[in-house]
Amino acid sequence: MKNLWIVRALSKTLTLTSSSSSSFTRSLCSSTTPTPTFAIKNVTKSNFESTLSDLRRIVRDADFVSVDLEMTGVTSAPWRESFEFDRFDIRYLKVKDSAEKFAVVQFGVCPFRWNSSKQSFIAYPHNFYIFPRKEIPVDGRSYEFLCQTTSIDFLAKYQFDFNLCIQEGISYLSRGQEDDAMRTLHIVYDDELLELRRNSREARDAPVVRIADFLFTERMKNRISEWRDGLLLNRNGGFETQESSNDTTQHLQTIFFKMRPALLLNGFTSHQLRLIQLVTEKHYEDLVFVREKAETSSGDQLIVYTDSKNDRDLLMKEVRDGLHKEAEMKIKAAVGFRHVIDLLSSEQKLIVGHNCFLDIAHIYSKFFGPLPSTAEEYVSSVNKHFPYIIDTKILLNANDIHLPMMKKSGTSLSKAFALLCPEIASSVQGLGSGPKPRVKVEVQVDDMRSSNWNSGAKHEAGYDAFMTGCIFAQACSHLGFDFKLHSPSTNLANDEKLQKHINLLYLSWINGDIIDLRTGNRTAESLYSNNLKNRYPKTVFQNIALIWGFLPKIKAREIRECITKAFGLNSVSSVYHLDETAVFVQFSKAELVSDFLQLKQTLERNNDPISVLHPLSKLLEGGNTRAATYEFYKRMCSSPISEVLFADQAEAMGINWKTEPLESDREVETLENEMAAFPNASDRSELGKINGMINDLACGHFQDDEAIDSSYTREAQLSK
Amino acid sequence: MALRPRISQGRFLCTQISNHNHRHSNHRRRWPIKQVTKSNFSEALAQIKTHINDSDFIAVSLQKTGSYSSPWHRVLPVDTPETAYFKAKYAAGRFQVLQFAVCPFSVRDSKVIAHPYNFHLFPRDELKIGMPSYSFSCQSSYLTSMAREGFDFNACIYDGISYLSRSQESALKDRIGNLVPSKCVEQSSSGLSVADAIFVGRIKARIKHWTTAIKDTGPKNEDVLIKSLRKLILGSEQHGSRPCLGIDVCSERQVQLVVEMLRDFSDDLVPLLIPAKGGGTQAVRVVLTSSKEDRESFVRELQNLEEEQNKRVRGFREVIDLISASQKPVVSHNSLNDFSFIYSNFISSLPSSMDEFRSSLHLVFPHILDVSYLMKEIGPLKKVTNLLNEIGPLKKVTNLPAAISVLKTRFFAPIDMDISHQADGHEGKIHGHKVLRISELFAKLCSILKISTGTLKDDDSHLPSVLEGYVNTFTPHATNSEDPVDEDVSVWTDNPRKVNYKDLVFLWGFRGGMSAKMLNKFLRDSHHEVFSEDFDVRLLDRSCAVVVFWKSGSSETFLEAMDSGGNSCESLREMISEGLRAADYQIYSKACRLGLWEADLADSLENAMADSDSNSEARSTDPLEICWNGDLMIYLDDL
Repeated sequence: MKNLWIVRALSKTLTLTSSSSSSFTRSLCSSTTPTPTFAIKNVTKSNFESTLSDLRRIVRDADFVSVDLEMTGVTSAPWRESFEFDRFDIRYLKVKDSAEKFAVVQFGVCPFRWNSSKQSFIAYPHNFYIFPRKEIPVDGRSYEFLCQTTSIDFLAKYQFDFNLCIQEGISYLSRGQEDDAMRTLHIVYDDELLELRRNSREARDAPVVRIADFLFTERMKNRISEWRDGLLLNRNGGFETQESSNDTTQHLQTIFFKMRPALLLNGFTSHQLRLIQLVTEKHYEDLVFVREKAETSSGDQLIVYTDSKNDRDLLMKEVRDGLHKEAEMKIKAAVGFRHVIDLLSSEQKLIVGHNCFLDIAHIYSKFFGPLPSTAEEYVSSVNKHFPYIIDTKILLNANDIHLPMMKKSGTSLSKAFALLCPEIASSVQGLGSGPKPRVKVEVQVDDMRSSNWNSGAKHEAGYDAFMTGCIFAQACSHLGFDFKLHSPSTNLANDEKLQKHINLLYLSWINGDIIDLRTGNRTAESLYSNNLKNRYPKTVFQNIALIWGFLPKIKAREIRECITKAFGLNSVSSVYHLDETAVFVQFSKAELVSDFLQLKQTLERNNDPISVLHPLSKLLEGGNTRAATYEFYKRMCSSPISEVLFADQAEAMGINWKTEPLESDREVETLENEMAAFPNASDRSELGKINGMINDLACGHFQDDEAIDSSYTREAQLSK
Repeated sequence: MALRPRISQGRFLCTQISNHNHRHSNHRRRWPIKQVTKSNFSEALAQIKTHINDSDFIAVSLQKTGSYSSPWHRVLPVDTPETAYFKAKYAAGRFQVLQFAVCPFSVRDSKVIAHPYNFHLFPRDELKIGMPSYSFSCQSSYLTSMAREGFDFNACIYDGISYLSRSQESALKDRIGNLVPSKCVEQSSSGLSVADAIFVGRIKARIKHWTTAIKDTGPKNEDVLIKSLRKLILGSEQHGSRPCLGIDVCSERQVQLVVEMLRDFSDDLVPLLIPAKGGGTQAVRVVLTSSKEDRESFVRELQNLEEEQNKRVRGFREVIDLISASQKPVVSHNSLNDFSFIYSNFISSLPSSMDEFRSSLHLVFPHILDVSYLMKEIGPLKKVTNLLNEIGPLKKVTNLPAAISVLKTRFFAPIDMDISHQADGHEGKIHGHKVLRISELFAKLCSILKISTGTLKDDDSHLPSVLEGYVNTFTPHATNSEDPVDEDVSVWTDNPRKVNYKDLVFLWGFRGGMSAKMLNKFLRDSHHEVFSEDFDVRLLDRSCAVVVFWKSGSSETFLEAMDSGGNSCESLREMISEGLRAADYQIYSKACRLGLWEADLADSLENAMADSDSNSEARSTDPLEICWNGDLMIYLDDL
């Protein structure tokens, strides 16, 4: 899914036909003609348990594990897509929104282990189908997730099997959910202890109303008495089986329950069982009515004979503990796929992903707990769970890997794969001109379930994870890392050649914003890599105003005209359409933003002829035009609501002003005046450097209609 | 299997939807229902058109991806039609319809003649314009229970029919324009300016030059090369088999001028408008036809093309338009929910009030009949026949199979089902059966209620006057029968008491995990004067409860006490300091109106109280509301 559908689709890497069961281990990078088949292990509910135990061993021995996810969508509204105008905190909010709303339907896990005798890596690609099924009632809420129509359509294009996913997908509980469920269970358990005593008292008082019920009760009373008397008789005169209750057909059957004689109740309706329970509790001190299974109504119902009050209490406790244990087991089972994540986390293995910031966010929100509200908190928390993460996209764009081919063809997953592992790809593509792969990779899938084999396919999480791992292995070799000299006991992540690249993730690929998971620091990409894609001048967020709700016929060009007429030709450096209802206007100076907002407010207040003739009035036409500073966009992005159009979203959030109140700005102004010795204090703190850069740039660099061709957006989507 | 032709190509692991998956299907009759996907849609559309024309009623039933995400988002017994509408509107905006079953049927004596169709829908963005829906929500419990019944998600997503609503279609038309210039290009009202005249003159000369060059294929044996060179210079292109010329325009005014000029200039020329990417017109393509007949056939071709394009754009909405155009009564179960989905998916976005919704919907579907409402009508009838015991259960049986079985045991109303389709290899598929059960139930109910359904043909209004009384009643209290959570046949003991919504108070902020009984005791123990009278407490979700005061005026007293911090009562003050909050019905209805759909009702009420800005607005509309539902029925036992 990963946004890069189109590009990845174009570069067809492998043709995949069904795998013959003859060879399970196949050298993919050998110089002999590779067979264009690919084996992968598909995992669903039915084979999850057994796969998990194998996987534990494989992961423990692995040098690194590559992962990849397929989701039901990426952005919940067009204005939440990735823009060049995204500040780092907003970028995180967008990722957070995506991870919270969409579901993961496929999870690829591919451990890689260096085999020194074969001098090659062995890869174990696993493709898990997962589905957020509600296995146990955690709380009253239903599980819900969003689907982006285009993403679902995209998955369909690659023949994703939705039926398998929904029917057979492995479910999961996050750590938080598991704790909640356990807590509720304990509360229920404690309550039950109380309730049981009280209930039995209350039950005794409840009168039997209907004649039929009365007759049935009397009859049952007789039967139970008969059975009990027979039991006592036997006890005195040696033990021998006596089918005293044979005449009531198979409804009543004597068995032993926890070393005590018991009467098994079969084939009664729930109403009848209730009546039997009533009778038992009312008339017999030494008989206990017991339900053996917790929830299933088919669970056996028994009347158990107890020797004494102590014995009775003991039995009740035993039964309750049994039920409790059963419920606990159920919760453990419901943890499901999270066991795999727990495994990766506890083994502290090096995790390899491709442009994986969103993937990691999904893993965090689905399996650990709710995403923190800021990137800094999130990052430090991720680092605790996964101390070593490496992103192949970072690696491929790094300065010290000299891959001239790569720069040309782009660093998308399948392109990088085709380039770095040409032997695998070339059998189909004839793209053999790339650098020679230096690391051999073999694929191993257990032969136990050959029927479960599926030919690998692009955009299948397991296969994508495999490709990512292969790229990592080759890139390491380009870094000068020699696996032959690498001792299996040392952690790959601690190698000094990798240290420079580890735990760095692209917060935003278009902006080249990189975040360091260890420190939470953000680095501009230019400092790190030799990638010269920063063709566009940096954005200054204080210079940006948001305008929305204008008439639909007004386009970027008109908006620019309006504003430049009012504020001067060089006042606007760019206008960018967020969607058809909203624009970002970047002014040349930060003051112009507040000037603009004030002017707008004034014009709206005085509805005199002068304001009507004002150049801005065209923009204000319709009376619904609203404006705010860039900070408002952050507020929008942190809202849980997702309306498709920006203007609708603002309305849904209950925005009822036309121009964002500027009080806060005024406060800042007075503050700045007081600290006259530090002009532009706020600027310096964060963006001062970039600011200086921007001010040097002529405004002419910007194009008005950037938004219309929306090339940025597209690029953003292609970045993975 | 026509449903899943593409699957076999790539996937080997595709799950087969096996017949024994169907838990319920064994004891059910297997009625053949025509399953429709993209591949057989055109053919089905033609068929259903005649069936709709021939039938008296049309039953509809929708399979959605979810209904409510939090317990209080579903329609509760405390809901007025207005708040119920807001809840339905919220659901319609988020969830997606995956199956739409339509069954045109007629009732003849005790026979239902039915033509059931089940359309698989998927909101695929066929035209790459972000429509019909950017995203939609799914509830995993819904998907799981659909899967259990053998629903084929692959067929639906790979091959489902897409659609656009009426408002989306017109928005699209605005954006990309019509391919064919509308026949009624306005007469140019103003005279030609100098610039216009120059423009027209220049274009006219160019076209003249071009047409003569094209027509002039006389005896001159020109070289092929020269011929093509000449064409190149003249800018001539081919439109299909006909020659054409592209004229660039820079305004709609110029388009108009060109089209007008062509009309005057020659009969052989047909203008086509080439839309620009951002909307508007980029160029006019002038196509030269060889004769009058040729021109006519070309225009017909264009019309067909447009129709074809429209069909592609509207997709499944064609069926909705057919139903709407027929003006026949539409029978549904749980009409409020279904029709808010239908309206928002196929007509336009939902209006902001129930009244507006009712009136706009009425324009599209004049007669809507709800079987759950008809079910309720049986109550009084039975009173007459002196079978009091049976009324209770009947009144609230909202689950379709249960309703049918209850009717079967209580009444003698044999209905034969006569299905037009032949079983066509889909025996395993039970999808869309609900629509047939609705038709069957409707026929039974009509026969029980002694409503004649046979004489419809001659009736101008398409509806017997007896039925008029049942039309367009949106019963908010029809609980959702598709709800996978409680599938039980729910038989309520009958104890309805009328409550005015003024006597309701919403309470929250009490200790978590309290049951209604505990809360009741808690309040009684507070010894506040109002709790010495008769009152009742029910939990609405885990965070919030509703208190019903049986003595009028008690609610005001209580709210006042809450507002003043419980000063008259020590234990109440204690509870308030622990976080207890209370609100009246206005706050609840405001939370629904403003769309404050938090997961917990307590949070929504808190937000609604905090939102002071729209308070004034709310007050102004309130009196209307009060008049409209003077007394609110609450079936306490539903709580």
